[in-house]
Amino acid sequence: MAKLTIDGREIEAPDGAPLVEVIKENGIYVPNLCYIDGLPPYAGCRTCLVEIEGARGGLQLSCTSTVRDEMVVRTDTAEVKQARQYVLSLIDANHSDRCLTCHRRVKCMPGDVCLRDDVVTHRCLTCSKNYRCELQTTNDLLDMGVDNVEPWEGEDRTYYQWEQPEPDRANPFLEFDPQMCIICTRCVRACDDLRHTGAITLAGRGFSTRIAFGAGGPIDESNCDFCGSCIDVCPTATLMEKPNKWLARTEDWVSTTCTSCSVGCTISVGTRGGKPVIVKPDTINPFSDDQICVRGRFHYDAIKPKERLSKHLVREGDTLQPSPLDAALDIVADRLAGIREQHGAASIAFLGSPFATNEENYLVRKLAGVVGTPNIDFTVGPVNQAAAHAAQAAFGVDRLPADLTDIPTKAKTILVVADDLEETHNVAALRIKDAIDPRKLPAREPARLIVISSRRGELCDFAEPYGGVWLQAEAGQEAAVVSALAKRIVGDENVAASAKSAGLDVDALAAGPDTVTGIENSTLDNAAAILSEAAADAGQTIAVVVAPKSVGVALAAETTKAAANVALLLRGASAASSFYLLPTEANINGARDMGVVPGEGGLNFIGIVEAASAGDMKALVVAGDNPLMFAPGRAKVEEALGRLDLLVVIDQVLTDTAKMAHVVLADVPAISKDGTITSADRRVLRLKAAQAAQGEAQPAWATLSQLGQRLTSRLGGGESFSYEEASEITEEITKSVPGYDRFHFHGYLGWGKGRAVEDGLSGTIALQPVGEPASTPPSNGDVALLTGRTLFTSLEAASIHSPEADKLHREDAVLVNQYDAVELGISAGDGVVLKNGSAELSLKAALTNTVPRGSVFLSSYYDGGVVNTLLPSENGSTAPARVTIAKQS
Amino acid sequence: MLDTEATLEIAELVAEFKPGNADLIPALHKVQHRYGYVPREAMGVVAKQLRLGEAQVYGAVTFYSELRVIPPPQTRIDWCSGPACRLKGGENVRLALESVLEIGMEENTAGDKVGLHLAQCNGTCDFAPQIWVDGKVVGPLTAADTITLARELKEKN
Repeated sequence: MAKLTIDGREIEAPDGAPLVEVIKENGIYVPNLCYIDGLPPYAGCRTCLVEIEGARGGLQLSCTSTVRDEMVVRTDTAEVKQARQYVLSLIDANHSDRCLTCHRRVKCMPGDVCLRDDVVTHRCLTCSKNYRCELQTTNDLLDMGVDNVEPWEGEDRTYYQWEQPEPDRANPFLEFDPQMCIICTRCVRACDDLRHTGAITLAGRGFSTRIAFGAGGPIDESNCDFCGSCIDVCPTATLMEKPNKWLARTEDWVSTTCTSCSVGCTISVGTRGGKPVIVKPDTINPFSDDQICVRGRFHYDAIKPKERLSKHLVREGDTLQPSPLDAALDIVADRLAGIREQHGAASIAFLGSPFATNEENYLVRKLAGVVGTPNIDFTVGPVNQAAAHAAQAAFGVDRLPADLTDIPTKAKTILVVADDLEETHNVAALRIKDAIDPRKLPAREPARLIVISSRRGELCDFAEPYGGVWLQAEAGQEAAVVSALAKRIVGDENVAASAKSAGLDVDALAAGPDTVTGIENSTLDNAAAILSEAAADAGQTIAVVVAPKSVGVALAAETTKAAANVALLLRGASAASSFYLLPTEANINGARDMGVVPGEGGLNFIGIVEAASAGDMKALVVAGDNPLMFAPGRAKVEEALGRLDLLVVIDQVLTDTAKMAHVVLADVPAISKDGTITSADRRVLRLKAAQAAQGEAQPAWATLSQLGQRLTSRLGGGESFSYEEASEITEEITKSVPGYDRFHFHGYLGWGKGRAVEDGLSGTIALQPVGEPASTPPSNGDVALLTGRTLFTSLEAASIHSPEADKLHREDAVLVNQYDAVELGISAGDGVVLKNGSAELSLKAALTNTVPRGSVFLSSYYDGGVVNTLLPSENGSTAPARVTIAKQS
Repeated sequence: MLDTEATLEIAELVAEFKPGNADLIPALHKVQHRYGYVPREAMGVVAKQLRLGEAQVYGAVTFYSELRVIPPPQTRIDWCSGPACRLKGGENVRLALESVLEIGMEENTAGDKVGLHLAQCNGTCDFAPQIWVDGKVVGPLTAADTITLARELKEKN
């Protein structure tokens, strides 16, 4: 630590820290229009001038200066102020707006002609960033208007002297208005260094320098993935969120958590008039830190308010009619009590949800307890349980202790077994890129990456060029590839010896394959060599990341087992600290921890559907889940749900499942809820309501507790369901759920850092035999149908079949390999028919080379999960479904 | 980016270059040598070969005036922007060219028949204000001469 003096104040700061950050952290203003915290300085704007005693050459830039002991810094002298003003006036001269420096700005109305004879409509009153603009604030704080420092003194123009570049407003997320740009290049560096995307560049030279996306075309034709990181750093109105940009002068900010995937990025929601208008990353979760993805930033308004449920509905004949809440709840309670009396508790089942909060899942579990049924699960529960059981068998612990923040800070060798991680878990993929290609300060050693996936994703480009390996597995063969790797590693005597000394039975791996079709042996050898090297260096941090697909119980189990074996071979007893199991949906871990898993002798989701289909299951309560969207074999699920005597759905929109229900209870979106969720590495994160509930809708936890009160009065039982606030349920969870004892909704200070995990070193470790993957030879020119979560499609919009669910329309088509397409005679945009037996699906085709030959890909969210009609209901196979594809006649 | 005949051809052309930005300019030169300019799809191919972002390649292409993003025209007009030409009314020559040909600087007429290019003084200031038609100095020019010349070029092609 160094001691320095800033403006007469004694301050302690780390030796060598960037001076500008230290000044800012200590609450002293310093203008900086090009600096990005945590990145090396660019020193382009020259406004962060300070006086450093003893420094040669006059005023110094605080961004390029570093902290030294006994440094004396002054930011408040007249010389510093004047120098900053002159520098800023040069920047202002090329900014479109003269009114930056006008102290009368607050008195102007659009259309006024002011004392300077400027038409006000041409100025900042017509700029969407007015009053929340960093450049404007900088002008104000440097007294540019008061001191009358203007670059245009004596000029009489009120219009631009030369033609201004055209803005790009062609995409639904990001507006780019180059005439506002001051060429600070923050966006270029954010895109390169914070995101590793590199979609933005400085084009041209000299006075004609400008910012451009991709090869100079529209933004949506570049490789921009609309994360909005450039918007966060832009000091002007050049890069803006398109939705609500005129409304986003916020009145309040609410810190909550994004529920679009299991990474659990914390977000700040800005509200105006009680409505969310803007989302920024919130650094509470240290893993997501200053980054979010397009889903977190833009999906809050994916659907219109009128598309959400605002009334509770009860079935009358063929239609659902609005009903008061009390009447609807009475019907549910009466009929549940009746069914229990007539058919027994086992004829009732509950579905919790990975989209609901811990509190709601806890209440689902508690309600099932009141009814006395062990049949409790959620639609993707069987897949998740299979993966979690595999990990538990390998490591002996359920709540794995591995901490995701180790990946960007420490990991040296990373193995990723996942298709297209940047689409399913965007920020997790970003942090892996951070480890491979570190750009941030403090500097760290780059890591090496091995990717095993069938589709080509962005991460594949971070393997080979950085000394890693990409193993392109055939679809469904991922487990086999990992097993082949494990077998090669255990062939290394040292690895085998240390595995044996850790008590592992290495013979369990002997059955693994030596070769895998489609992958060169030398490529496998290269990957194994990297892993063996990591095994030899026990001090090195490794990471094995597995993101099982949401369809395919056996596939998830085998892939997880195989990857766990590699972790065990590399790190023995402490392997659990290096193994990351990333579930697809947001709160799968929370639902599991809250006990939304089949109880003793209970049925899981597959069993519940079977029982309903056989007529044994009479009632199903669905809290936030949507089986028709997520379960493979939709026809069967639909038939089963149709046979129920009572289907109750709690959801915020009228999903396909809700349309079949007897009673629909209106829920609110996650952005309107209080509660907690548990992320992939079991960080417990807080949700806070940023928006009031709409109409009669109320959060599911309130509905569930009212239902609980009615059920206890009819069925008896001592449980209390009287909750005024979600935080009371959180309190109850701290008392009854293992690992959650710290997480008091109010009063806990460690949000984002606290994780509900076990230490993981006490468990019994064991290598898991990996099953032989089913091989599916192509027949009659059929193709493998791959599916998965994609980046741009919104869950809410997809579940009501909104044609705008993917506003960019990149994912509402089936992706066909371009060479297959030539053979099949399909061109981009053609209508095609996918067929599997009697199931048929017509949609548009798009060509790609990210999908391997012999397969097609369709987003699992496309049109409300319609891909499920083509998938066989869960059959335990590891192979993907095969379909035929033909051009529509 | 999808493979097309054009991208595969360019990929073969730049296959010799190694990843990293050291080979960026040689790769772009090779592309321009072959096609006379750097086509848009070539930026993607070069980026892929060198493992750079497409935007980075575009940034380099637009930085160097030697690298062109439009095909070379059949007839190229260089407008001299040197001080002697300007003093003698070169601006008027430029306006005449731009309005008759209906294009701006560094643009081609439809079908790449005639192109306008901004050039630096070559020392033949005796002929100021001047233009070079396919490298041949034409001058001194009045606005009227320029209009006649530009109309001829436009009609000839």
